Amino acid sequence: MMSNILKRFSTAGKISVFLITLVCFMAIFAPLLTKHPWNQPTGDALEPPSKAHILGTDDLGIDLWSQICYGARNSIAVGIGTALTACLLGTALGIIAGYCGGIPDLVISAVIDVLTAIPGLPLMIAAGAFFGPSIKNIILILSILSWAMPARIIRSKIISLKQEMYIKAAQGYGAGFSYITIKHFLPRIFPLSATSFIRLISKAIVSEASLSFLGLGDPTSKSWGLILNYALNFPGIYFTDYWKWWLVYPLLCIILLVLSTAVIGREFEKILDTKISSVV
Amino acid sequence: MKKSNIGKMLILFMLAAIMFSMNGCGAKPQQKTVSDSTELDSPLVIRLEGGDWGFPSPFAHYSRGPGMSKMRLIYDSLLEKGEKGLIPWLAKEWTISPDGREYTFVLNSGVKWHDGELLTAEDVKFSFEYFTKHPPVSNSLLIDGKPFIDKIEVIDECQVKITVNEPNATLLDRLGIVRIIPEHIWKDIEDPKKAIDLVKLVGCGPYTLTDYNQEQGTYRFQAFEDYWGPKVRVDVIEFIPVSDQVLAFEKAEIDLLDVPADLMDRYKNNEEYKILKSPAFWGYRLLFNMEKKPELSDVNTRKAIAHAIDVDELIEKVARGAAVPASPGYLPIDHIWHNPDVTKYEFDIEKAKELLNNKSLSLTLLISDDQKEARIAELLKINFAKAGINLEVRTVDMKTRDSQVKEQNYELALIGHGGWGQDADCLREVYGVTVARDASPVSNVIPGYSNPQINELCQKQLSELDEQKRKSMILDLQKLISDEIPLLPLYNTVEYMVYKPEKYDGWVHVFDHHAVTHNKLSYLEREK
Amino acid sequence: MKYQKAIRYLLTFFCIITLNFFLPRIMPGDPFYFLSSEQGEITITYSQEEIQRQKAYYGLDVPVLTQYGRYLKNIIKGDLGYSIYFNNDVRLIIKNRIPWSVSLVLLSVIIGGFIGTLLGCLSAWYRRGVLDKALYSLMIILSEIPAFLIGILFLLFLAARQGLFPLSGGMKPFAEYVSWSSRFLDIALHGFLPALTLAVVQMGGFYLIARNSMITVMSKDYMTTAKAKGLSTRRILFRHALTNAALPIVTRAFYSLGQAVGGTILVENVFKYPGLGLLMRQAVMVRDYPLIQGIFLTVTFFVIIMNLAADIIYKKLDPRII
Repeated sequence: MMSNILKRFSTAGKISVFLITLVCFMAIFAPLLTKHPWNQPTGDALEPPSKAHILGTDDLGIDLWSQICYGARNSIAVGIGTALTACLLGTALGIIAGYCGGIPDLVISAVIDVLTAIPGLPLMIAAGAFFGPSIKNIILILSILSWAMPARIIRSKIISLKQEMYIKAAQGYGAGFSYITIKHFLPRIFPLSATSFIRLISKAIVSEASLSFLGLGDPTSKSWGLILNYALNFPGIYFTDYWKWWLVYPLLCIILLVLSTAVIGREFEKILDTKISSVV
Repeated sequence: MKKSNIGKMLILFMLAAIMFSMNGCGAKPQQKTVSDSTELDSPLVIRLEGGDWGFPSPFAHYSRGPGMSKMRLIYDSLLEKGEKGLIPWLAKEWTISPDGREYTFVLNSGVKWHDGELLTAEDVKFSFEYFTKHPPVSNSLLIDGKPFIDKIEVIDECQVKITVNEPNATLLDRLGIVRIIPEHIWKDIEDPKKAIDLVKLVGCGPYTLTDYNQEQGTYRFQAFEDYWGPKVRVDVIEFIPVSDQVLAFEKAEIDLLDVPADLMDRYKNNEEYKILKSPAFWGYRLLFNMEKKPELSDVNTRKAIAHAIDVDELIEKVARGAAVPASPGYLPIDHIWHNPDVTKYEFDIEKAKELLNNKSLSLTLLISDDQKEARIAELLKINFAKAGINLEVRTVDMKTRDSQVKEQNYELALIGHGGWGQDADCLREVYGVTVARDASPVSNVIPGYSNPQINELCQKQLSELDEQKRKSMILDLQKLISDEIPLLPLYNTVEYMVYKPEKYDGWVHVFDHHAVTHNKLSYLEREK
Repeated sequence: MKYQKAIRYLLTFFCIITLNFFLPRIMPGDPFYFLSSEQGEITITYSQEEIQRQKAYYGLDVPVLTQYGRYLKNIIKGDLGYSIYFNNDVRLIIKNRIPWSVSLVLLSVIIGGFIGTLLGCLSAWYRRGVLDKALYSLMIILSEIPAFLIGILFLLFLAARQGLFPLSGGMKPFAEYVSWSSRFLDIALHGFLPALTLAVVQMGGFYLIARNSMITVMSKDYMTTAKAKGLSTRRILFRHALTNAALPIVTRAFYSLGQAVGGTILVENVFKYPGLGLLMRQAVMVRDYPLIQGIFLTVTFFVIIMNLAADIIYKKLDPRII
């Protein structure tokens, strides 16, 4: 099924898939791709790109290419971790709310309402300060704040599925909730979940970068947003040449990664015919 | 069609209306003084980096940042901090009774408030009493959280006598810096925090505030033409918000630049500019919690840690060269009572291993999410690992870190703060306090540590009124501390200020503070 | 049905108010305790007695539930409290910041909406042409890049390196404007880059909606008639098609107003623009409870109102939806 989908991708989609594979490759094989450690100074401070340091070094003399490679791990971990948690949570709660109705539906819908009405960023700022900055906590916060989107979509899908004859028939034969969910619901809502999964990845990556940019990320892990934050806070960054490597490369990386996930998300939507972007 | 046009016009109109309403938000400029109308020269306007630090009344400025120094431009005190020590100010002379309990100040005569009224001894008495009832943001009238003034008497129209509970070496400083406020303005104000209109801002200092805008972070100070004291050289001081200091300085938007170390070369060896180095009164120190980590109560472990830190590398990489190594005896190199002969701990991994008996040690370091602290922690971790100390770094935001240090919830903690140039009594507050009575940065207790010798000397210097004797005690105390290192100062930062002497050349440092812009002497004429 | 919706909105709002109260309070840290400072800064720290006195002054010394009760009572009265750090009435502080943020959001939606819609119409007209395809990809790309990154790029290239725009702030300090137009220009110059940044991000959404609805409208019979009548392209496009496709665009505009808030907070921090976003970050950093609550409430209220407005307008304009 996946290869089938891939074939129907447009050129942009294919490029995006390639880019993402590249980033994953960077993340997984970071130790092989880099000759310098990501957390120890190996050169002079702020060396421009050269043979020894292909993307130059930062203010401590740490190789930027290594930081970017290892940073890819963070970005991907936050992206996938958040999307997975939020998607599972959202799907489960969406099914429960849609299928059971009544009080569970009321409660879940109310929480969804609150979460969608509150602007996410201020809440993230406050929650970030509360939980403290670490990758685990960031994933946790982002998941809590982003499950509402898939849950809402899936809830309404389930409500409409419930009206269909074959579900009613299955219910009539005495099929239980879990049987119907596994046999009938999951296959039908899979495209929806998959699409929101991809969209959540890109949202999570952006959110992590935003938090790091505001200085609320985890300063001991080198995520791309953090490299950016360090570079931007360096006094006189615009007046020296340092921005040419220290600022530009991480910036490019974030933009490319976010763009590729977004494009893939759209391709998925088109192919699986699930309109999510119009809902959110 | 018509309708949508009207709609568009409406939106545009609304937008325009909003934009125009913006100026109305801040405090309205209010011309209280007219200066330099007689002088032929155009007034000297100095522009400095601003930002919002609060309404500059003694009760309303913010507790962090340079709000206090702005307030002090408006309000004078009995004494002032000079280049070498305390100098006479509103009080032209003072006497201290031999038992150290009575302070008599003789006031200058003819001192005028900004509204034209004369300052009287009653105003001085009123100020001390009012501050006791309504503490200002910066309150020097408490020692370890307790008041020390017994009574204040007006002897005649220019003499005030203050009687204190017990003799104490720091009192002259504490009494001298109290701002004097006018009785006729404040006597009926019950909640001074909320008195934030410009009319209330009447002091007897060299400047009056003519404009303050909280959102924009701008202040405009104008010289007070009837100022009693030295001639005011700068006619107008404007504090404006700046996003990039260097750019603003190059565009001549500001007249003083705290230059980043990497850009020093731009201004070095250039006739047009002068570079002023600030004393190193801001620094980082490493705290040891010996209660939570008993290994740290062994002095050799602490020494091993000291040897495992490459301070020069920290200075080069984190401070970009703009810092000096801190003294293990705490008082930094620029402090007037710094002891250069304290025990020093050079970077030596082998020595560190030896002191640890090649045992390994595992520690957690608490830092805030500040970039520099994260950088320091990164570098510490690398060298500690070489010495067999495994360092785990725990990061929380600044506020959380502060309260965790207060609750003693850490093993090692890194904090950075200013005020290293203040009176040497800070040694007592850092090292000699056994109970957490006070929450000031230099006065949290060292958990699990108490040294009777240090404590005794700390107490003795406090009641020693002879300055020379006290100084030698302080020197001894530093030596003692450096042998014990109950906490480890890392480095003190230096700032380089660049300015064009052609425009203004009056910048000066006072003896205990790092910023030239914060003291009023920088703006006044000085006797040679 | 109508009541149910109203109750749900009220319930949501109540939850938010409550959350709003407890969230700042569960953050570790004390608004009165400063141990450390930023480099080169001096902080004044208080003794235990002084902290107690301050807490009593701000009503923070009583049990949390009592505080909560007072908070609810004050909100009903419209009182948002007194800021601990900024030492001013929270309402006043927020009131002074709102014009900046709101004009930024409004301006960005207007610019973004205008350009986006225009390009959407063009795309729809030249459907499947080269222009359409190029615009489509460009818009998708622009709409996906996070606003603050675009802001950084603008700041770096247009403001810092080229010096075309001021780097920060909302207006020139102490400028004495000769006329209202120079004043307007100054404010516009300062607001231009932040507004443009936000507008770029908004454009994509408008573009897609305009394009879609134009395509739908243009396939309708009356458009074919219009074309057959020989009306000019511009006339058909803007007079007939656009007026018919306006509904989703207007609705989108209101949703955008609500959605732009998150981006605005970040963009204001990039450009140090004196709006609510910049203030919010400062307030969180110093744990100024009343101010955090106040800003949060204002922002949420704004978003909810905008969403509600979008709902209502959609129903008003399109009676088919109940």
